[in-house]
Amino acid sequence: MSRTIVRLAVVAVAAGALAASLAAQGAPPPLVNNQELLEGLRPDGSKWLTFGGDYSNHRHSPLTQITPQNVSRLVPQWIFQNDTLGRFETTPLLRDNVLYVTGPLNKAWAIDARTGREIWRYVRELPPTGSLTACCGLVNKGFGVLGDKLFMTTLDAHLLALDIKTGGVVWDATLEDFRKGYASTIAPLVVKDKVIVGVAGGEFGIRGFIDAYEVNTGKRAWRFYTIPGPGEPGNETWAGDSWQRGGASVWVTGAYDPELNLVYYGIGNPGPDYHSESRKGDNLYSDSVVALDADTGKLRWHYQFTPHDLHDWDATEVSILADLTIGGQPRNVLMTANRNGFYYTLDRATGKVIVAKPFVVTTWAKEIGPDGRPVMLPGHVPDEQGSTTCPDVTGGTNFWPTTYDPSQRLFFVNAREVCATYYAWKQEYVPGERYTGGAGQRAKGPDFRAYGALRAIDPTTGERKWEFEYISPSTSGLLSTASGLIFSGDAEGNVLALDSHSGKLLWRFPMGSALHGTSATTFMLDGRQHVLVPAGTNLIAFALGDVPRVPATR
Amino acid sequence: MKWIPLALTVLILGAAAHTAAQQPPQAQSQQELYLRIPTDVPSKNPLEGDPDAIKAGMGAYRVRCADCHGMDARGIRGPDITQVWGRGRTDDALFSTIRNGVPNTEMPAHPAPRTSDMDIWRILAYLKTIATPITDTPRGNGVAGTRVFETNCMACHRVNGRGGRLGPDLSRIGVARTRAHMTRQIRGEVPDFRTGYEPVMLTTPGGQQIQGVKKNEDLFSVQIMDTRERIQGYLREDLKGVANAKISAMPTFGRDKLSDADLDDLLAYLAALQGVEPQPANENR
Repeated sequence: MSRTIVRLAVVAVAAGALAASLAAQGAPPPLVNNQELLEGLRPDGSKWLTFGGDYSNHRHSPLTQITPQNVSRLVPQWIFQNDTLGRFETTPLLRDNVLYVTGPLNKAWAIDARTGREIWRYVRELPPTGSLTACCGLVNKGFGVLGDKLFMTTLDAHLLALDIKTGGVVWDATLEDFRKGYASTIAPLVVKDKVIVGVAGGEFGIRGFIDAYEVNTGKRAWRFYTIPGPGEPGNETWAGDSWQRGGASVWVTGAYDPELNLVYYGIGNPGPDYHSESRKGDNLYSDSVVALDADTGKLRWHYQFTPHDLHDWDATEVSILADLTIGGQPRNVLMTANRNGFYYTLDRATGKVIVAKPFVVTTWAKEIGPDGRPVMLPGHVPDEQGSTTCPDVTGGTNFWPTTYDPSQRLFFVNAREVCATYYAWKQEYVPGERYTGGAGQRAKGPDFRAYGALRAIDPTTGERKWEFEYISPSTSGLLSTASGLIFSGDAEGNVLALDSHSGKLLWRFPMGSALHGTSATTFMLDGRQHVLVPAGTNLIAFALGDVPRVPATR
Repeated sequence: MKWIPLALTVLILGAAAHTAAQQPPQAQSQQELYLRIPTDVPSKNPLEGDPDAIKAGMGAYRVRCADCHGMDARGIRGPDITQVWGRGRTDDALFSTIRNGVPNTEMPAHPAPRTSDMDIWRILAYLKTIATPITDTPRGNGVAGTRVFETNCMACHRVNGRGGRLGPDLSRIGVARTRAHMTRQIRGEVPDFRTGYEPVMLTTPGGQQIQGVKKNEDLFSVQIMDTRERIQGYLREDLKGVANAKISAMPTFGRDKLSDADLDDLLAYLAALQGVEPQPANENR
């Protein structure tokens, strides 16, 4: 027999043996179960399974190998390039040493976390990009996962389940008709047997909603319209038929409290953004956080940060859940820094305001009154001539993730000090077209210095503990670690590590593109802590150069 | 030991077939429905004279155009655009300029869906209300102006491949700026802090001062062109100081330095600079 024939015979036998062995063992257990989702980030650092690391969105890792003392020795291990002209805004998931990453234009990958090498790739056939209505980049914020399925939203407003082993499509559910201005970029939240998503399109005259789908079938389990329909409480907060196209999009992943069985979602701005004559009223539930029953989607409570918003201040900032002691009382709270410039601590069982305090310069409201409503200051209604207000359209902060360090009881946020001149004009609604009724422009001149700062806030008082100033506003999310580090990025393309107790800068690496809209993540691999940083079209993995690898035996 | 990858290939192929079988049947192609039919651009602005469109266009103009073209559209960093119709440009050509931008200049494209056709027509409807006929009367002698330029400007400014590089290239300044704007600029009535030309002074630990214009910077470094046209980056930690000057690097030319007659000649020269198409490096390509 020739060597080839021998080889083929061996192959056939080996393949047969492998197949037989698989059959004997039965199907392997699903890769991710609900218990793991509940556990969040574990001290062994082997997993990152949901948008915020855990259901509370702490984005705070228990890992301690990288410390303030040694962080300056971080070196790149590999770089993965996404092969598009678009940027990563994703939170990569990690399970069993494999990364699951979504990218621009609904591309997605399974990547070997040891080498950055692609294992599989998914590419969605999208409608022509000119017909897609995502306002602010053809991006995606990450996968959700359960069992052997990954869940991803798409720019043409679908929700996909992909086979985690192959990237093949298992099911494909339509959220809405993208030609009417709908899109979806949100990272799905998996709760029990449901996958929860929302839709973008606040600048395109949509009527927003939050949907839950059965993980196994892709069948819709419930829908919560973020704008109540006729006969429902809250519909009266929209003049005339403006509720039909009032926006209130949902594009940042919510938090989940398993004890209360509530999911918490921040809701986008009312539309048209700036010209509000047609939508007189508070415009519920735009610019609110809503607490929904995770099984039914029924509204438990809501709190509106910016009633009748005129400045495009979506409440789509990350909500963080924690248990604090405030005024001697134990409180179960929801913490969030809002685009309108105020930091809030709410009671997450009732939605009542516990703390509300500006974390940047705010000129539109004096304070948040005892009834929870902002006490408005005059002169901040946009018109054709323009009116100047702080913060600007992008806001005091925005969707880039914040973190919470329970050991220090500190909330960290990348804040922006920028003001804008806001213009408004009347605009007719055309389905599928931009519907903003105005725009904002960064205020200029010697009175308006635009910059950004990483700020540490005490959530029991709203007081600032320290800050680190950037030369220009950063749009990077944050990651904090139990060893006392914060990883951030600046607009100039540096990834930064700071001491979370003091705000002192400890390390930086120029990546060539900014960390934007998402944060670094961290995990353990072969005995070494890795820090993974999305920057522009790249995903860069760092680890300590002088820590030896201890490869897993299996 | 080639059989391991081969065996895996067999398994993977099997798995792929399995996955394919699980996929729902492909929905019929809706590609033709997806296409937002690109309508022919009308030759005339359909919104001209429409009061609502003009109001909306004013707002949109102020937010998206005024930074470069000025609140009055008479030009700051970008050209004066009050005389575009006066110079013979048509509605559809202007539409195309806004939609597609101008290659190799700072004028960006404004693609859909962020900018709809109607957004562009609204802006043009507004611009039409502030359009003016051509009023500049030719003055000065361009040939004499060449000498004024060579004496006063060429050390820092380049025209068609000749001259300094510390200041902006002026090869197409006649298209980009009105005579009135250039006058204000030269006489020092407009502070110009154009990105990439902001004056900066670096001080080394030894006390040496390096003067130049700032090309880029971040928290840790600054990149400059110094007065000898050396482009170089410096780490802030290696410097004693980095000082941003409060005045433009462009000197002020008052009447003591440049007479009105010389200025007229210079402006005649500059107004004639309309830019040249770069020559192909190899005709046989």
